[in-house]
Amino acid sequence: MTDAATPVAIADQPIVGRNLPRLDATAKVTGRAVYTVDVEKPGMLHAKVLRSPHAHARILSIDASAARSMAGVTAVVTRDEIQGLNCYGTYVKDQPIVASDSVRYVGDVVAAVAAEDERTAFAALDLIRVSYELLPAVFDPQAALDPSAPLIFPEEPFAAFPDYGDGASGTALSGHNVSYEFRYQTGPENAWTECDYIFEDTFTFSRMNHMHLEPFATVAVATSEEIEVWTSTQSPFPMRQELAKIFGLAENRIRVNVPLLGGAFGAKNGPKTEPIAIRLSQLSGGRPVRYSMATEEVFLTLSQHDAVLTVKSGLKADGEFVARQSRVLLNGGAYADASPLVAEKAGYRMPGAYRWKRIDSVCQAVITNTVPAGAFRGFGATQATWASERQVDLIAERLGLDPLELRLKNVKNLGEDFVPGETPIDSDLKHGLNLVADAIGYRNRDRSGNRGMGVAIGLKDGGGVNKPAQARVKVTANGDVVLNCGLTEMGQGGHSALCQIVAEVLACDPQRVKYAPIDTDNTPFDQGTNASSGIAVMGQAVLQAAERVRNSVLDFAAENMDLDRESIRLVNWQIIDSDGKTHPLSPHIMHSFGGTGFEFTADGYFKVRGSLRAPLEAPCVFWEIGWAAAEVSVDPETGKVELLQLVVSGDAGKVVNKLGCRGQDEGAAVFGLAQALFEEMRYNDDGQLLNAEALLYRVPLAEDIPRRFSSITQEQGHGAGPFGAKGMGEGGMLPIAPAIAQAIADATGGQLTSLPMTPERVYNAVRVAQAHQRRG
Amino acid sequence: MSLDSQDPRAAGSDEPTVELEFELNGSVEKQAVPTSTTVLDLLRNGFGKRGVRSSCERSVCGACTVLVDDLPVAACSTFAFDIDGTRVETVEGLAAHDGTLSAQQRAFRECGGFQCGFCTSGMLMLTTGLLRANPQPDREEIREWISSNTCRCTGYEMILESVERAAELAREREPDEESS
Repeated sequence: MTDAATPVAIADQPIVGRNLPRLDATAKVTGRAVYTVDVEKPGMLHAKVLRSPHAHARILSIDASAARSMAGVTAVVTRDEIQGLNCYGTYVKDQPIVASDSVRYVGDVVAAVAAEDERTAFAALDLIRVSYELLPAVFDPQAALDPSAPLIFPEEPFAAFPDYGDGASGTALSGHNVSYEFRYQTGPENAWTECDYIFEDTFTFSRMNHMHLEPFATVAVATSEEIEVWTSTQSPFPMRQELAKIFGLAENRIRVNVPLLGGAFGAKNGPKTEPIAIRLSQLSGGRPVRYSMATEEVFLTLSQHDAVLTVKSGLKADGEFVARQSRVLLNGGAYADASPLVAEKAGYRMPGAYRWKRIDSVCQAVITNTVPAGAFRGFGATQATWASERQVDLIAERLGLDPLELRLKNVKNLGEDFVPGETPIDSDLKHGLNLVADAIGYRNRDRSGNRGMGVAIGLKDGGGVNKPAQARVKVTANGDVVLNCGLTEMGQGGHSALCQIVAEVLACDPQRVKYAPIDTDNTPFDQGTNASSGIAVMGQAVLQAAERVRNSVLDFAAENMDLDRESIRLVNWQIIDSDGKTHPLSPHIMHSFGGTGFEFTADGYFKVRGSLRAPLEAPCVFWEIGWAAAEVSVDPETGKVELLQLVVSGDAGKVVNKLGCRGQDEGAAVFGLAQALFEEMRYNDDGQLLNAEALLYRVPLAEDIPRRFSSITQEQGHGAGPFGAKGMGEGGMLPIAPAIAQAIADATGGQLTSLPMTPERVYNAVRVAQAHQRRG
Repeated sequence: MSLDSQDPRAAGSDEPTVELEFELNGSVEKQAVPTSTTVLDLLRNGFGKRGVRSSCERSVCGACTVLVDDLPVAACSTFAFDIDGTRVETVEGLAAHDGTLSAQQRAFRECGGFQCGFCTSGMLMLTTGLLRANPQPDREEIREWISSNTCRCTGYEMILESVERAAELAREREPDEESS
């Protein structure tokens, strides 16, 4: 490691874009990295929760008296202990700390216990007696919409929704078991009359668990006046806001500390373990309470949305796309969580990468008696891309066109509007398609031996909607730099990339830049680490703060060292004048400010401008694109698919950290290939999750990765972030499943419309194709 | 189930205890622990080895992998009494006392063989075990070893490269050591 006290002569070499090790590398390879699960406080108690064995039931009575009187138990939370506290959720506030009137899914939290050790807490849970009246349950989103289906929220929860712009609208609680409905329309309705062909297809999308390796965990120290938590959250400030609402406290009475996160992938956005740990601490005389879930509990806490997507597309005889209508049903599970936002995105992104004259899309988040669904890598775009891209392939087959050529004919150009009022497309989509196609040899492919190839593209509006971010940079008299901002490090390498931006501006070794620990009392405000916003949104705030600090240092130097402000530069905490002569800064600073020296400090701020014309309140910050090409071989007798090649590509705009960009695209691609081929939360007919534990839930291992797997990080240079950078991390997941599906179709004729593409489904699709061929 | 709060040295219950003597990262340790204590509990809570990560607790994910007599073992699913008389190594024992990183650690750092880092301790111990068994593994052998552990972030390719690089760095170091 570099000795931070010794400036390294990096002179004017750019730091951004270099293949630098991450700043958290040493801590992580030595085991010294501290995650929330490692946080310990003196006198710390341990929490365990009782979960519902029923998918839907009214709670008739809870008797926790035996648990309360057990030695070593300090507090028990049941519905009696949450009187007067509020529910939480995004837009729709429907989730209580523990179930109050009824339980709504297998795994819903009924009670919680704090005790001196975990064994005692478990033993106390066994003493809690709950009597239930079973209610009919519904698990399928289509069935849940039927007026005869059980109503999961008989009393409407509090709900709000945003002020959408042109063409978009949102309605909370719009129908039977619908938590939120998003609609978007643009273009002339009569466009359909121009169409020579109209095709309608229905697709289903499976449900994955995030399965981040570090579970949800919180240590809380709380009284009725003040709350402090150390917690694994992606979004410290929204967490503070939500906790303030739940517990009825001023926000400055709540302090959220965020250590390193052991993965998140969207799961660590809203409250998870926080409210229970806090309430138990409040009831235990303010003693620290740790609530760390087991993996089995993580499975019962949040998931991706499974979906049913019906897409109708009209086109001209030559293959030109004209109009698209879609209806998407997302299975939101028992509580709304982030479902309204996911519905918004799944609906809004249905046009995909293509040019349409008319768009008409509806997406409903449906309440069912399953694990709540919320933010998950890809955020609605994975669902939309699956259906959208799959239908392009189905259309190509029906019209006898090459699927890649059909895409190239209709894909939007760089600079073309996605929809009116929105940020124009900021990547050359055709270039990326050709790049991945050529990388696997698509155009000269050998299809013998049941081999085939497919190409797909997915895109999502990135950077969050209307998202503000602030940052602060300060430099000591000796040139040691502290970056202070609320981007959480969950593995994506955000802290390293932001420190590199600061180092670039201050022309210093990145090792001299420290990323300060995050706590909401001291960290500048940020809306949250999500929507691939780290580089493009927070990066801009960081860049501005660093530039302002540099300018104030240069102002100081010009004034105190008698130098010409216009011709001096800052390099390695020295001033270089127009003659190339260097002037160390530290002695001058100490001389000017006296023995204690000084710190130069500045803030930066970024937010895209809101717009009444933008459908989602503000134009997106950038477009996050994923391109993929796959080659498979299929055994038609068994339906087994072997993935021979997979190439994924993202457009970083401008690479800040090479390792980070590559890791984001490859990691996302592997989520995509798992969703494509095997990974899935499976339910039985009674709503029991069948594989809610690591032994039964199959995540990808190194042996599942194709021998030929690579990522191509493009730097097209049109991003809105610092130096032209764009966000990464989700785009790479979007095109994988459709590319694999098309490769299977190319190999066998079998067209898959459901995920995952298990051997059984592939076998059946191949049989259908063969029967069709025989008839045709 | 790992019980994080349970100090394995304090056998408060009437559970019988067992006397252990083992080597931990090079130093001999003696300890009396309840018979149900797992190696994960013992290392994290009894010895403060927080680099040993606890995740699935079903010996599936491998985040808690440690070496017992050079072989990778899931600490969450191994009873403490099983390590009596053995040599146990954790991620904390990889670097030299002065902080100099081992070849494996340097390789993972250089090649970006981690993202969130939660699987990293286990991956490093697997790598250490593999390179002791075979200092020149080919990619297939690396893939086979690494497939016993889960990484949810990287997509594995950069881990495979890290292990290849670790083997290279370890070989590079050997001639130096011989000449000195």
